[in-house]
Amino acid sequence: MIEIKEVEEPRRVPILGSVEGMFTVFKHLFGKPVTVQYPEKPSVLPDRFRFRIYLSTDDCVGCTLCEQVCPNLTITMVPLEKENQRNKRKIYPSVNFGTCTVCRNCEEICPTDAIYLKEVFETARTRNNFFYSPEDLEKHEAEVKR
Amino acid sequence: MNLLLRIATILSFLGHYPSYILGYLIETIIVIIFATVVIAGMVYIFRKYMARVQMRIGPNRVGKFGIMQVMADGLKLIQKESIMPKGRDDLAYKLAPILIFFGLIMGFIFIPYGPLAWFGDLTVSHSDVSLIIIFALIAIMPIGEILSGISSNNKYAVIGTLRGIAKDISFEVPMMLSILAIVMAASAKVSNPLDINGVVVAQSIPFAILEPLGFFVFIISMAARASYSPFDMGESDSELVTGNTTEYSGLRFGFFYLGLFGTIFLGSMMISTIYLGGYLGPFTNYMGFIWLLIKTLILVIISLTIWLSMPRVRIDKFINFGWKYLLPIAFVNLVIVGFLVLGGIA
Repeated sequence: MIEIKEVEEPRRVPILGSVEGMFTVFKHLFGKPVTVQYPEKPSVLPDRFRFRIYLSTDDCVGCTLCEQVCPNLTITMVPLEKENQRNKRKIYPSVNFGTCTVCRNCEEICPTDAIYLKEVFETARTRNNFFYSPEDLEKHEAEVKR
Repeated sequence: MNLLLRIATILSFLGHYPSYILGYLIETIIVIIFATVVIAGMVYIFRKYMARVQMRIGPNRVGKFGIMQVMADGLKLIQKESIMPKGRDDLAYKLAPILIFFGLIMGFIFIPYGPLAWFGDLTVSHSDVSLIIIFALIAIMPIGEILSGISSNNKYAVIGTLRGIAKDISFEVPMMLSILAIVMAASAKVSNPLDINGVVVAQSIPFAILEPLGFFVFIISMAARASYSPFDMGESDSELVTGNTTEYSGLRFGFFYLGLFGTIFLGSMMISTIYLGGYLGPFTNYMGFIWLLIKTLILVIISLTIWLSMPRVRIDKFINFGWKYLLPIAFVNLVIVGFLVLGGIA
């Protein structure tokens, strides 16, 4: 047999609750707004936020591991004439950011740490083409031709 | 010395009568400009206050701190096409927004604004029965509401109007009873208790302290008159699109929108004149108008806080509240004030 206890509710004064609610609303007037005015003021990013892929062509050995591990064919190897003793085949990764999911597998698998990601995320373009050649991947985002 | 005399003195080279006629015209134009500016300011204050309370920033793009946002919105409304529904009652449909705005602006004319420095008394129109006239003028606005509802050939508009009328009827009677108590209290002190200026002069003790019950009834009535959030059952945007304004667009909708905010300001101004001593305060002869504005602004902020903190009351609950609580409270208030006046306290 379950006993149901009658819980006595505290007696409420009719209008007092509404006034309390009004006071709570009024108090928020002095709070700090949560809206971030993004383009004018830089947004605050977490420490480990990563987006844009960078490539150091001096370190790349052209092993194609990044191309193999990339889950959706974002990375393709393209030939590039560059003086690099360790890269005998003269092929370097190029990235199509339109399909990149930022899984960071390429960064993880790279044996020479030639591919690395940074917190840069403003990669919007006027042309409908998010293809980054190996030279583009080496440059800062502001220098890349859009 | 008042504003009309000042203007007439400046224009006295035109002769006696033309200067006074032109003076009246200029004074009326000043009031219309004042009303429009105040309503625009109300919209800005509302948007900014709502945003800050909800921890947003609010309008801040057009002009410094977004001050010109209201102008931009007005321009947008003027440019927009006015789409009219098929099968409407044309005259009533076009008359309704004008009636709403007319009632609002006419209400501004009879408020006693009080003296301000060199200008003198700013009150536009004096009358021995201005207290009655102002309530008669405000009562024009529900007619616009009704016309807009029944003429726009839309089920939501009709339902919204029906709710609006039910709400109006249930608070108008207690409101007028609380005003009757005011007239009784004022008649003990001044010879013109039906003049709204006489009511102000009679308040050596503000009537809000003398008759708190009437004050409560009147505040609720003014909130219901402006029909903002706890009492917006005529609009109820979640179930009836926007009630009687559903079929309106462009500038005609803008008139309804301005009518809402103007009514809040006018209601706050009336509460402060009738219950809080209006332009009375320290240095009344120099800054009476400033006192009125300060009192009104505080009441506006309170109104907006009520708007933002309370959910909509169900229509039958409000009718119950109006007839079963507000009306008896108003009668009790009337009796108490009667005893106070007989006892010579008021």
